[in-house]
Amino acid sequence: MMTPVDSSAAISARAATVDTPLPDDAIVIDGLHKQYGRIEALRGVSLNVRRGEIFGLLGANGAGKSTLIGVLVGSSRPSAGTATVLGLNPVSQARTLRHQVGFMPQAPALYEDLSPRDNIRFFGRAHGLDNLECRIDDILTFTNLRDREHDLVYGFSGGMKQRVSLACALVHRPALLLLDEPSAGIDPKLREAFWHHFRELASTGVTLLISTHQMDEALQCDRLAIMRNGVVLACDTPKNLLRGGRSVVRVWRDDQAEVQTITQYPEQLPLLLQRYGLDPAIRRIEIEEDTLETVVLDLIDARATPTTSEMEAGHAGDA
Amino acid sequence: MQAMLSRTAAIARRVLRQVLRDRRFLALSIMAPLLIIFLLKVFFDSLESPFFKPTEFIIPVGAFVVHFITYVLCAIVLVRERTAHTLTRMFVNGYRPVEIIGGYVLAYTVLATVQALLVLTELSLLFDLGYSIGTLLSLYLVIWLLAVISIALGIFVSNFARNEGQVFPFIPLIILPSVFLSGLLISVDRLPTWAQWLGRVTPLFYANQVVQNLIKPGGALSDNWAVFAGLPIYGIVVLVLATRTLHEWD
Repeated sequence: MMTPVDSSAAISARAATVDTPLPDDAIVIDGLHKQYGRIEALRGVSLNVRRGEIFGLLGANGAGKSTLIGVLVGSSRPSAGTATVLGLNPVSQARTLRHQVGFMPQAPALYEDLSPRDNIRFFGRAHGLDNLECRIDDILTFTNLRDREHDLVYGFSGGMKQRVSLACALVHRPALLLLDEPSAGIDPKLREAFWHHFRELASTGVTLLISTHQMDEALQCDRLAIMRNGVVLACDTPKNLLRGGRSVVRVWRDDQAEVQTITQYPEQLPLLLQRYGLDPAIRRIEIEEDTLETVVLDLIDARATPTTSEMEAGHAGDA
Repeated sequence: MQAMLSRTAAIARRVLRQVLRDRRFLALSIMAPLLIIFLLKVFFDSLESPFFKPTEFIIPVGAFVVHFITYVLCAIVLVRERTAHTLTRMFVNGYRPVEIIGGYVLAYTVLATVQALLVLTELSLLFDLGYSIGTLLSLYLVIWLLAVISIALGIFVSNFARNEGQVFPFIPLIILPSVFLSGLLISVDRLPTWAQWLGRVTPLFYANQVVQNLIKPGGALSDNWAVFAGLPIYGIVVLVLATRTLHEWD
């Protein structure tokens, strides 16, 4: 016996109540649109990022994650809507904002004919920092690059380049760090090292906005916005998003399995089991929860049948 | 203002460091003009015509070679930054268009200074020009300014290209009018009026006018200020245009 459940509606409904802007939010986005010719890469995105949290943007390629980050760092101008980053407008107050924001693009964006130290020094000089060399020493240590600091980036692996890129984004000790798929193409060990760095930074009060299409990374965020074709489908903590998923409960009475499907199992499971009382014939109970991937796919299915413009936006979203 | 100069110097230092490490680029920008001029000397010597005097036009040709090579090599620089996403990263870190353009021009000017010096020395020695020190210094100043303008012009056109392939159409767009309308092949006076005006759009027009007057007997820069002034004015206009067309956002 299967019970149909509309999990995506439950998630979306909760997301609306959770994501209320606070006066000191690091990022406040309201009705943001970005159009490239006929293609709409962002279609009314609204979300808020709290100070000091690790906020994830989860979505497939073309979802609009990079475009959104581009607007927030001031390298792309929105077609409509507003964005406030650390209380500043990324268009009209870009000069002030840029010294408070660290940005790690999806591509390494490094000078490969220079060393990590030279790259970090060059981007650090843009901020007019005192004690730049000391800061470079600190950041090279933080990103475990000390032993390769004088080698040319040209010969580095993808993961090493990403480390240098992260170091360049951190040299001026920004209050907000925007990371566009920082662990794309790197091995699991280095990814874990990256997330260790991210948690360390968050513990010092730095706000992190991280785009990813990796579910395991998304689960490590404090909160998460799921994007598709330039739209935020849901925004909540990973735990709450998972609670909105389905749980399949199999109760084995003698040799017969009764299958029940519920949502929000911490509340619903006791109610379900009450039906069975203390029946000694019950020999086994299995609970199979939806993964985040399933929850995301359900959300996407709930908004299936994309229009032509949605599909086109999907191709341009991460341009 | 101090911060702006400091950031411009940071870009110039970084570019210069990259250029000095890029031996192929260095060889191309320094050796290629010298090689072309040497081949021209071999070619002219083989003509052996008493009516043909290469000394009358070899300096303008040398200036053109510097202009051509410098312009072509610089037309790619910002495109490379754009495709590597380092241009976006520079902007996001707070570098401004005027600092980026200024930094690049400063760095490549170091190269152009050496290049112009070597070219003029080679021309003078190979073709036994026998000009006075004053004339040679004046010629050097003109060729050097032309090289700096070529850098600015290259960077300006590279603002309009989104990838390396898009740079190529811009090369003949600037170079062909320079060859035909600047007075290098045909005297400007013999061109139709519209072509004479079009020729003024090319920096080689101004450089060529000054050079032609300087290599005449008794020619001095002090008698050609009006035409010579066209070069720095042209350079400033191109730099302003390059800065205005380099956008920080898409």
